[in-house]
Amino acid sequence: MIRPEEIKMSTEETGKWGMVIDQDICTGCQACVAACAMENNISFVGEVDSGYGRSMHWIRIERFWEGEYPEVKMTAQQPMMCQQCGHAPCEPVCPAFATVHSQAEQLNLQVYNRCVGTRYCGNNCPYQVRAFNWRAYKRPEPLSNQFNPDVTVRRMGVMEKCTFCIQRIHKAQDTAKSEGREVVDGEFTTACAQACPATAIVFGRVDHPESLVSQLGQRANGVKHLEELGTLPHVTYFKGG
Amino acid sequence: MSDNFSRRDFLKLAGVGAATTAILTGCGPASRYVKREPYMLMPEYNYNGQSTYYATTCRECAAGCGLVVRTSQGRAIKAEGNANHPLNLGKTCARGQATLHGLYNPNRIRGPIKHSRGDRLYETAADPFNDEFKDLDSNMSWDDATQTVADALKKYKPEEIAFLMGTTSDHLFDLLTDLSTQTGINAPLRFGVLSMFESRATLSKAAENLFGEAGLPFFDVGGAQVVFSFGANFLETWLSPVSYTRGFAGLREAHTKKRGTFVQFESRMSSTAGKADEWMPIRPGTEALVALAIGRLASELRGGPLPRAFSDVEPADAASKAGIKLETLQHLAEMFANSAGALAIPGGTALGQSNGLAVAEAVLALNAIANNFGKPGGVFFSALAPNQKEYQRPASVKEMQEFVQKMADGKFKALFIHGVNPAFELPASLDFKNALKGVEQVISFATFPDETALESDYVFPDHHGLESWGYQRVATGSAQPVLSGLQPVVSPFYATRATVDLLIAAAQLAGGKFSEALPFKDEVEFLQSKIAPLMNETDGFFSAADINTFSAYFQQYGGWWKTTEGRAVPNTADVLNLNLSGTEAEFAGEGEFFFVPFVSPTLAEAGANKPWLQELPDPTTTVMWNTWVEINPETAHELGLENDDVVKITSEAGVLEVPVYRYPAIRPDTIAMPFGQGHTAYGRYAENRGVNPADLLGQHFNEAGDLAFAGMKVKIEKTGKKKPLSRLESIMGVYGVGLGEEH
Amino acid sequence: MIKRFFDWLRQPLGLIAVGIVFLTLFSFAAYGLYTTQQPPEQPVQFPHKTHVAFGIQCLYCHPGAATGPAAGIPSQAKCWGCHNQIVKTQTSLLLAPLKEAVISGKPLEWVPVAQVPDFVQFNHRAHIAAGQNCENCHGDMSKVTIAENPQVFNMGFCLDCHKKVAGDDHEKLVKLVDCGTCHY
Repeated sequence: MIRPEEIKMSTEETGKWGMVIDQDICTGCQACVAACAMENNISFVGEVDSGYGRSMHWIRIERFWEGEYPEVKMTAQQPMMCQQCGHAPCEPVCPAFATVHSQAEQLNLQVYNRCVGTRYCGNNCPYQVRAFNWRAYKRPEPLSNQFNPDVTVRRMGVMEKCTFCIQRIHKAQDTAKSEGREVVDGEFTTACAQACPATAIVFGRVDHPESLVSQLGQRANGVKHLEELGTLPHVTYFKGG
Repeated sequence: MSDNFSRRDFLKLAGVGAATTAILTGCGPASRYVKREPYMLMPEYNYNGQSTYYATTCRECAAGCGLVVRTSQGRAIKAEGNANHPLNLGKTCARGQATLHGLYNPNRIRGPIKHSRGDRLYETAADPFNDEFKDLDSNMSWDDATQTVADALKKYKPEEIAFLMGTTSDHLFDLLTDLSTQTGINAPLRFGVLSMFESRATLSKAAENLFGEAGLPFFDVGGAQVVFSFGANFLETWLSPVSYTRGFAGLREAHTKKRGTFVQFESRMSSTAGKADEWMPIRPGTEALVALAIGRLASELRGGPLPRAFSDVEPADAASKAGIKLETLQHLAEMFANSAGALAIPGGTALGQSNGLAVAEAVLALNAIANNFGKPGGVFFSALAPNQKEYQRPASVKEMQEFVQKMADGKFKALFIHGVNPAFELPASLDFKNALKGVEQVISFATFPDETALESDYVFPDHHGLESWGYQRVATGSAQPVLSGLQPVVSPFYATRATVDLLIAAAQLAGGKFSEALPFKDEVEFLQSKIAPLMNETDGFFSAADINTFSAYFQQYGGWWKTTEGRAVPNTADVLNLNLSGTEAEFAGEGEFFFVPFVSPTLAEAGANKPWLQELPDPTTTVMWNTWVEINPETAHELGLENDDVVKITSEAGVLEVPVYRYPAIRPDTIAMPFGQGHTAYGRYAENRGVNPADLLGQHFNEAGDLAFAGMKVKIEKTGKKKPLSRLESIMGVYGVGLGEEH
Repeated sequence: MIKRFFDWLRQPLGLIAVGIVFLTLFSFAAYGLYTTQQPPEQPVQFPHKTHVAFGIQCLYCHPGAATGPAAGIPSQAKCWGCHNQIVKTQTSLLLAPLKEAVISGKPLEWVPVAQVPDFVQFNHRAHIAAGQNCENCHGDMSKVTIAENPQVFNMGFCLDCHKKVAGDDHEKLVKLVDCGTCHY
């Protein structure tokens, strides 16, 4: 039995897994988006539904414009995925307890089998990173051969979002445990970070000061988006320049 | 039923209904009716539930990035970069990630087909996402297919037999080259639309004129401090995007050195230009003038005698023709001259104009001021792959035009096509489809039912790249010479056959010179014969005493590369003395708008049939699943055009209708359109989607024979129709403050 | 019209009819639920108890359990490795499907028994490494022929053991009852 006094308040947590994203070197090439889709069995929705905003991009690259021609600038590309908030607005609103905070991994979990599809969580997320399976999106044979066996294939009516590749986290921890050691920093990484040709995304343990992600996170001028909302996101962005 | 049906009655009825449903669904979960088929004989390196990883090479473009593919129970699950491979160092681009959507594509050719030209290879359906498609079944055997090829080789005279290839499958190219040398059939011709947009002939001709060698230059962006790119969109699909993106990250790296600066000269802000510190939308056609003017001003700043190369240009004149201020030119010249690591890169639209060669020469000459040839951050000749004596470039469009003319004239009786889709990739004005009528027998080795396969007499499908053996030479992007290896990561999914195997078997059947030219048992034996000479090389990162051990390592590591520098230093003794002409480009066509087609950074050459590539938002417009035309908002306003309005674009070569995207960062006198869509075959996800800008391209070439693809002017007319584009950004908004910005 | 139907239902005859319908449906449902827990038909009536009696370890045929997530079903070659040296194989009716499969090259179609739903990612290795015996979940194989489930594999069964094993170790308990440990 877990005693009440043992439950840590999320405002005290340092976080375990986090990312550092360098917007200055992100080129917007979409390699991370494709990698994530392939790794996590994400459905494609087609032209009509993506036009209605129902595409299921767990990570997306945002870009905005500033100014007008000829003094027009494209803002630095901004890869946006679930920030795995320490104090997530999506967690308290689920009536089925499908989106809970993992105390073991300090991540925001999405438990597909509990989800009943109220979409309250998606509504509450200030980063708008949650994707809902509005239809039973088909993957015609033989595309289903490509499915990653380590990730559940979601059905219609279920919410999904970036999980920081929790399947890779578990696999690396399992491998390390089987060899009687701890997971080494850089031993594994998320699909998006692994694909990025510019190495704009770095992933790792933010509670270990010697990890690459912690060291990079120490640099000046890092921002956490929408920090003022008190979400305690685990992704630090650098604009460069 | 107007009598009383009260709420209570309704609830009762609903309750009974609900209870019944609940009870009936309790009759057993569906998942129990599953069957598990174990291996007949499990391969010895497999563990149940664990994945097996194979090193191979990506075949989505010619770059030759190394892949490591995760397979589980004989299925390919995920493609990752090969961390040891010197070209991509473990990274992949979006197309490499989506290559599995090609392997397991629902519309693939499943076996040899005897075909009638023009017939469908699969039945279309109205709704590509929900309707069932019916693929054509194979209707002949591989033995008959082999006999057909053998007959073609024997029946026709050698000069009547031609092979047209794409830019991947270097081992097939080598086999065909050997076959050609020994039997007199035409040497294989290679073409790909990416190489058309990269103006490869121009780059190597400029190198020949300036440095005496027709090689492919490599630009070390990662080691530079100031990069001036004239049209080269090296962060998208240009030459070797993964390697150049890594270089860009090195340029920008600001924690151990000063952050590098990047200026892009382009009429339309591509996603490469979007990363630039300064985007210079100079008037199309004035790139050579601007480059030479910068050269002159920079030389003047440096002091000393003015080099011959830059003495013919007048900076003020150049500035006014380009539409920029003289102060801007001076500022750019200062930036270039004062930097310890300046680099100038020619490419993209700048070379795809009538004076493209002059542009390339002017920009390459700029590097002489920076004195960066052969130095970190400078210009090199790309390392030749092991066993390669000289750079072999794909055909220019002019060379393709000559080839197509020969086809139409009936000079070829048998035409074999592999790895390229000329019916879609070549400008429609070249009329490739029509020219096929002059060829008696067309045999396609296409893996997918593309437009060219539809026009063939036979389709003998090659394996998908992930099911194939082979090698690919890394043409550029790596400091070391690299021969990247391919091996099958899964068994062939359909009854396809390796083209090399088919050709070897057909050559044996044909006998005579053919069987002497290809005395191999199969593809693997052929490959081993080709890589065996590498055993004698020094500086390899592995070596072995016998071919079987060497092959085993070659497969395991995904290729063979040297550990030493392989890039050559260009001979630049005469560069500054050359008489470089500051010409302006000439534009064909009557319209008022410069037309800029560009390769879709997500779809590239052949991505349209992969659904996840279609669903990737374009990096600059975020449009998915379609083609658009980018028009400056002011111009659109003047023409009364809103987003999604369909306009008719007319060039001297063709007409297209396409929806508008009001694009903030493009010149008011320029419009741009992505290449990649507009297929009329090629599978359910590619077909009937968007338009092909190659339909508008006329036959205008630059001095080196590359197509002046950005050298046309077009007219725009409103049609009154609307076609909504699917954009990702409509969720977030376009202008204004983004998430996380300071408010 | 509906009202008249409901009125008839309230009559004795109607009530009996409702009772019969309900009982029929209920018994179908009960039978259906019962069948889900019965061991399914297998292509070969494989006698686990015979093989266990010979001293063959579980991990000999199911080595995946110790090294990874899936224990796996042995390949035909594994069975044939011994059985092609056993004289009885030539004449045994029980072994005929195996012989048939090896000769024809068509694999045997086993029906998996210890199934968890698709949204559960079960990892055998962690359980073996934690010292769990195969019998704890899969029952005593020395008593059965084809595999049977000794209990229902539902989440309650898993969590009961997880909580017991964690005991007083708070960190372990947190990890073992975390939703994300199994559902992702």
